[in-house]
Parts: sequence; C-alpha cells; structure tokens
Amino acid sequence: MFVIAKREFINLFKGIKSIITVLFLLIVSYYSAKFSEVISIGIELTASEAEGIHTVGILTLILLLGYLFVASLSHNTVNREMEERTIRFLITRTSRQSIILGKFFGICLFWFVTLIISFLLISIFSQKVDLFIFLQTMSLLIYQIALIILLSVIILKPSLTMFLGIIVGLSFPAVGIWLAFTSNTWVSWIKFITPYYYLFNEDYTFVMNVILAVIMLAIANQIFKRREC
Amino acid sequence: MNVIETKQLSKSYGSAQIIKAIDLSVKEGELFGFLGRNGAGKSTFINMLTGIIYPSSGTYSLLGVKGPNDQVKKRMGVMPDYSTLYSSLTAMEHLKFLSALSGNSASKVRCKEVLNLVGLQNHGGKKVGKFSFGMKKKLGIAQAIIHDPKIIFLDEPTSGLDPESAITIQKLIQNLQKNGKTIFMTSHNLHEVEKICTQIAIMKDGQIIKIGTMDELRAFYRSKITVKIKHSPIPKAEQLTLYEWLESAGSDLTKEVNSLTITVDDEKKIAEMIRAFNQCKVDIFRVEVEEPSLEDIFLDE
Repeated sequence: MFVIAKREFINLFKGIKSIITVLFLLIVSYYSAKFSEVISIGIELTASEAEGIHTVGILTLILLLGYLFVASLSHNTVNREMEERTIRFLITRTSRQSIILGKFFGICLFWFVTLIISFLLISIFSQKVDLFIFLQTMSLLIYQIALIILLSVIILKPSLTMFLGIIVGLSFPAVGIWLAFTSNTWVSWIKFITPYYYLFNEDYTFVMNVILAVIMLAIANQIFKRREC
Repeated sequence: MNVIETKQLSKSYGSAQIIKAIDLSVKEGELFGFLGRNGAGKSTFINMLTGIIYPSSGTYSLLGVKGPNDQVKKRMGVMPDYSTLYSSLTAMEHLKFLSALSGNSASKVRCKEVLNLVGLQNHGGKKVGKFSFGMKKKLGIAQAIIHDPKIIFLDEPTSGLDPESAITIQKLIQNLQKNGKTIFMTSHNLHEVEKICTQIAIMKDGQIIKIGTMDELRAFYRSKITVKIKHSPIPKAEQLTLYEWLESAGSDLTKEVNSLTITVDDEKKIAEMIRAFNQCKVDIFRVEVEEPSLEDIFLDE
C-alpha cells in the first residue's frame, strides 16, 4: 500500500498539470490573503467570518472547483492502469485493497501537502493557521478523492471519467450547495450524501465527509475485487 | 510437493467455456511448458492461476495455499502477456518499484544483476517508453524474477525476440530452474518447449489433451516412427513382393530412386524390414529413423 501511495504521490508532483494546479492554488491563496482586507471593505461580516477572511480565496476555489482539480489530475487513476494493463503487475504482487488504499492515500497526501503550503502562505498575512477551515477543506477533498477513485473503478474508459469529471466538477458544487439549502422534501435528502451540507455548519459535522469517503472506498474496493483485469 | 495444483478448474464467459475442468499438478523445481494454438486457453489458464481473472468453478492452490491468496503473491513472479510497462519509468525504476511492491525491495546491485541476466545492462537508466518490443519483453522477465520468487509464470517469454535474445532467455529460464525455481511457461515455440521444458502439456479447446515429459509424449506417439532407407537397386522380379510386404508393414510409403520412406508403428518392424530387404538380395546403405518431434505430436493433435 505504501509503495503505491508513494508512487502516486511522486507521480502527481511530476506532471505539468499538477504543477500548474498547485501554482494556481498558491497564487490565489497568496493574493486573496494579501488583499482580503481590501476585498472585505464595505461587506458586513460576522466576527468568525472576519477572522477567517484570509482563507476566503482558497476556500472558494476548493469549494467550487475542487472536484474539477482533483478530477483533472486523478480521474484515471485506476482505469488507466486497467486500460494499459499495467494493473496486472500490481495485482499479481499485492492485494487489490492495497492498490485502492495506496492510490487514495497517495492522492490525499498530494492534496494535503498542497493545502498545507497554501495555508502556510495565508498564515503570513493572517499570522495564524486556521486549523478548523483547513480540516473542513481537507474533508471536502477527501470526499472528492474517494468519489474519483470510485468512478475510476466503475467506469473503465479514462476518456469517459475525464468527461464525467468536467460535468460533475461543474455541476456538483452548484447542485450540492442548492441541495444544502433547499426545502424541497423530494430532493433535500440527497444533501446528506453530498459534502457541502456538512461544511456549512460551524462544528465538526464535516467529519461526515470522511465517513462518506470511507463508504465510497469500501464500495470501490468491493467492485475492484470482483473485477477481472 | 506440488507447487501448482488445479482441480476441475474452469472458466466460462457467458455460454462459452474457455477452460474445461482442468486437473493439473506441477511439482517443485519443474519447468512446465504449456503448449497450444492461439485461442486454446493458455493465457486464460495462466491468468487464473496468477489472480488476474477468477475461475468460474473449480479450485487451485499455489505453494500449498488455496488461491487466490495475497500472501502467495509475494513468492511468485509473473510476466503476463500483452502487458505494457510504465513508459515514464526507467528500467531500473521499474525493478525497484515492482520489487518493493512484492515486499522484497531490490538493491541497485540486484537490479543491475537482473538487467545483466536479461541483456539490458546498458539500458537501466533509459525510459521504457523508448524501449523496443523485445527490450520490453526482457524487462518483463526481469521484473518477474527481481524479487527472487519461488514460482515463476511466464506467458510467451520469447515471442517477438530475435533468435540471439531468445536463446539468452531460454538459458536464463533453464538456469532459474536449475536454481530450484518452479517455472510455468506458455509458448507457441515448439522447439523451445521441446528443448528446455521438463514437463509439457498440450492444450486444445480449453482442455489438456496430452501431458508428460518429452520422452513420455514420444513413447505415446511411437506409432509415428518414420524410417528412411537408402538401398541398392531392387531386382525387378522382387519389386512387387517387397513393396507389397512394405505396404502391409507400415504406412505412408514413398518410393524414390534407390530409397524409400515409410512410417511404422513399432521399432521391431524396422528389423523385419531389413530382413525383408536382405531376402530380396537388396543391400541397405543407410537407415534413418526419425522419432516424432513435438511439432509432429502437436500437429497431429
């Protein structure tokens, strides 16, 4: 598992797409933190909102485009290996569960490091690291990474997961945020399986995102165990 | 000890039965050759044993452990057919990554040693994306043996290799066997299997139709002994009698000038033939006896 996680982590840092994504996130974090006080002029903020204003840039970016970022880098993490048949080298050496978990932890570590650097940059201006917002953001990413892995196991064509990544990446935040606030009883139950609902509370309910991620990984693992490569 | 054992192992896709209830035992230290035409089911069988695909029914065990089992994977090396390698990694990185995955991380020295064994000693730092088909094949074998496994599965190890490289790989496979490894290989190359394998199974339509050592297979096919006799001219008065006798003694009689070829089903008939020639006052200059080759056996099946 750790060997696969390490390889996934290193591979993510090697690609040009990853470098651009990380740079983009860092630049947005830096400038949004730098100009956060200018941005907030004329806007009435609560005490806690004012306290977390420096993180507004990275938070908005991850909230709205997080899935798109994760999908663009890792949409084909499993199905590419199946299509190219390199998966045969892995499954003849280690358990299928280790492959799924290794890939998950590798991608998580990449985003963890990226987010840590972003929050450290922000801390230059805010003079503190907002651990709560960091954990909230990380929980959202964990959910999205698990979803990406699940789709990559279910859908065998990498081109399809890329297409789906764009569609879901653009629609998921809008639908998810609408679901979190809608009173429509027919659809409002869906909010419990989207990550956004758990992010709008000022408590630790965001842990639910990690639980949902574990469930998705368990499903991905069961499907992958039955899959012939 | 049986390193590989299958009981009624079958594989079906829908209504098509690809592997039909195969019972097979491979002993420790054997170099087992699995022969068959395209589509006979060789790769499907090897893929089941290595956990790439699952059997529809039946059971198998590797190293005494019922499969599929993740712990056994650490002690087996696999070179699957039709597999691509990671084009962004170098040969050396491949060996390091895949050996670490097997739980036996190879040192730089060990990687170099294995690359040397397969003839890739000068290409360790080269990205696999720039490798030729033959070089990829060699690296495929290298990754299968890098972690010093007990049992090695090789699916068509020398197909696509130039003759020199094929011989190098054949020698490597033989050396691995001499060092106590059990090797299970599939091949289209009859001469290769005949040359290096200690046990041979011939597969047809998802079933093993013949199994044994080369000598055992030959013994089974002794009915196909081809005898070529070079002789002095046969007196005209004796020709009819001798040819009639030969046709009754064997089959596929081919007559040429002062020579003939005939297929007999028993070695004793060769002695009878020589006596018959002597009785007809025909001198025999040369007798060539051809035992059935694996190619003959294979084609016959």
